[in-house]
Amino acid sequence: MAYVTPFTYRQGQSLLHLLDVRCKFFMICLISMSMLSAHLSACFFYFLILLFFFNKAGLNIFATLNSIKYFILLLFFIFIARALTVKGDILFSFYGMSITEQGLNEGILVAFRFFLVMLTGLLFSITTKPSSVKSAVQWFFKPIPFVPEKRVAVMISLSLGFMPVILKQAKEISDAQKARCSDLQKNPVKRITRLVLPLLKKTFLSADSLVLAMESRCYNDDRTDPEFLPSGKEIPFLIGSFIISLSLACL
Amino acid sequence: MNNSKQLKMTVYTSLFVAFIAIGAFIAIPVGPVPIVLQNMFVLLAAIILGPVWGLACVAIYLLIGLAGLPVFAGGTSGIGKLFGPTGGYLLGYLPAVFVTAAISKGLGKRMSSDIIAMLIGSLIVYAAGVPWLKVVTSMTYEKAFAVGMAPFLIGDAIKIIAAAFIAKTLRPVIKL
Amino acid sequence: MQKLIIDINALCHTFSDGYLGIKNVSLSISKGEFVILAGKNGSGKTTFLRHLNGLLLPDSGVIFVNGHDVSKHLIQTRKTVGMVFQDADTQIVGDTVFDEAAFGLENLKVKRSKINEKVTQVLEDLNLFHLKNRSPSTLSGGEKRKLAIAGILVMNPEVIVFDEPFSNLDYPGTIQVLSTIINLNRSGHTIIIATHDVETIISEATRIIIMEEGLVKEDGKPDSLIKYLESYGIKEPCSSKLGLGLQPWLT
Repeated sequence: MAYVTPFTYRQGQSLLHLLDVRCKFFMICLISMSMLSAHLSACFFYFLILLFFFNKAGLNIFATLNSIKYFILLLFFIFIARALTVKGDILFSFYGMSITEQGLNEGILVAFRFFLVMLTGLLFSITTKPSSVKSAVQWFFKPIPFVPEKRVAVMISLSLGFMPVILKQAKEISDAQKARCSDLQKNPVKRITRLVLPLLKKTFLSADSLVLAMESRCYNDDRTDPEFLPSGKEIPFLIGSFIISLSLACL
Repeated sequence: MNNSKQLKMTVYTSLFVAFIAIGAFIAIPVGPVPIVLQNMFVLLAAIILGPVWGLACVAIYLLIGLAGLPVFAGGTSGIGKLFGPTGGYLLGYLPAVFVTAAISKGLGKRMSSDIIAMLIGSLIVYAAGVPWLKVVTSMTYEKAFAVGMAPFLIGDAIKIIAAAFIAKTLRPVIKL
Repeated sequence: MQKLIIDINALCHTFSDGYLGIKNVSLSISKGEFVILAGKNGSGKTTFLRHLNGLLLPDSGVIFVNGHDVSKHLIQTRKTVGMVFQDADTQIVGDTVFDEAAFGLENLKVKRSKINEKVTQVLEDLNLFHLKNRSPSTLSGGEKRKLAIAGILVMNPEVIVFDEPFSNLDYPGTIQVLSTIINLNRSGHTIIIATHDVETIISEATRIIIMEEGLVKEDGKPDSLIKYLESYGIKEPCSSKLGLGLQPWLT
């Protein structure tokens, strides 16, 4: 999956890496929520905190930005759209369109908030193992009725496992077809079905053998619970994130 | 449902979760705008897995992305993406997959009924995605339609026809 | 005569399309044997193996594992008879090597501390422990198959069944898997290997069973059957063709 997802878990031993995943989940929800009403100065303050943790986790913020450049482009469009549409004191105008001071401010604020929520999410996915994400999902779903949380956790594992297999097979199928000049085919419906149909058939067959393998290893929904390894610093982090989200919401 | 059949559906549904996630990255170059296959896999999940497992499939996909694993388009994930400008399309998959599956099932899983079901499903995705885009970016409705729907319609038509063929060939193979 | 571990009496299996998979097979296997189940593709080997683990149930006839009727003691059977499937990629459930090995014990709802202890021990025995945090999809072919073996070893099986264990493996991978299998046999496990290519293992086996069209055609010592292999569509090992008898493949 490496080439499609530049942003995935990186091994490490930083504070955030070791923090209990449930605590991180809680923090990310809290902060993202309070971000909705955060002011510019508070946003900037929080940005500095994020920079600190990116640094702590041994990550280069610029490499990070590069991997989300399309999202940043989208934010730029949001900024332009806001700047042009919000009514207020006109700063300057051209070709019948005008940029207002209020529009500019609001555009920056909205784009900045999205940007920060995105960075927070990235920091989480870089420092958290997929398997602990799965365990946390299972833990949070446990009190919710009608959700078979253990099966959901197994399904998350399975689908993450299928992804590299599908990508590998997609590449093989597409190469095999290119070798037989499939590029000459102009009909888009045929192009899609010729890639997807063999891919689905093949992966469904391997899914069938997975079913057998799971059955032979006694799969059932009543399984051992995952274990969590708290680092002992969860309480200060929770308090810290409470303070941050309070200041984001109120400042 | 017996245990073995349930395990089979569990695995098949997980497989479709993977396909939906990967669909965001598989593009088939047709003309100037490449066709991205994600929404086709959502529709296929609907007509192959049925309403309940189809809904579970999309829900788990969104959950994985929301929980921070990089499965949304652009390799990004998390709350920021789901509640970002294009989040409406993602959330729209939920009602779309259920309605598509229910219609396809109700009309008897023929090719023609699959096409009708998928057309309605696609419209539901836009019905959620376009207004969301409008609110977040504060564009006008005309602009939001022009940016967030019009460029994809031809590709969608192609994908629906392709999906109908695929479903027709796949159903006898996987025997659900 | 050693203690019987598998006892099969008049086993028949018909597929839903009316095709006869297994026709009236009766045989028994003692503890500690190293059995090759040879035959062309489509001779019924895989169908036969799946009965040993309760993945398929007989239409008529009975199978006893350790004296228990398989169709009435599924979980017990699956703990006693571990099964390694042909394609290692498609039988992986966990996100990391450690989780993958732990899957079977989690299904049996074993306590987490016991799981960690057992999985660590098995991974160390198979020399996989240094890979424990890796994603299984990034392993080499030989390591993947060893991981599949680890996944069933944690459940303390007495019999290990392999379906084409050397398919798609390179030379080092084949050596790794072969020596693992030999060690398992030496430590008292009963080994059953289904394959259409007996070259690599025939010198290790104590018994060879040849199947054709769902019937057991031959059953005896490898050196007495080696000259008949080719009449059933199985390649005779080179050393035998050259008149050198059975030579170990692993030197």
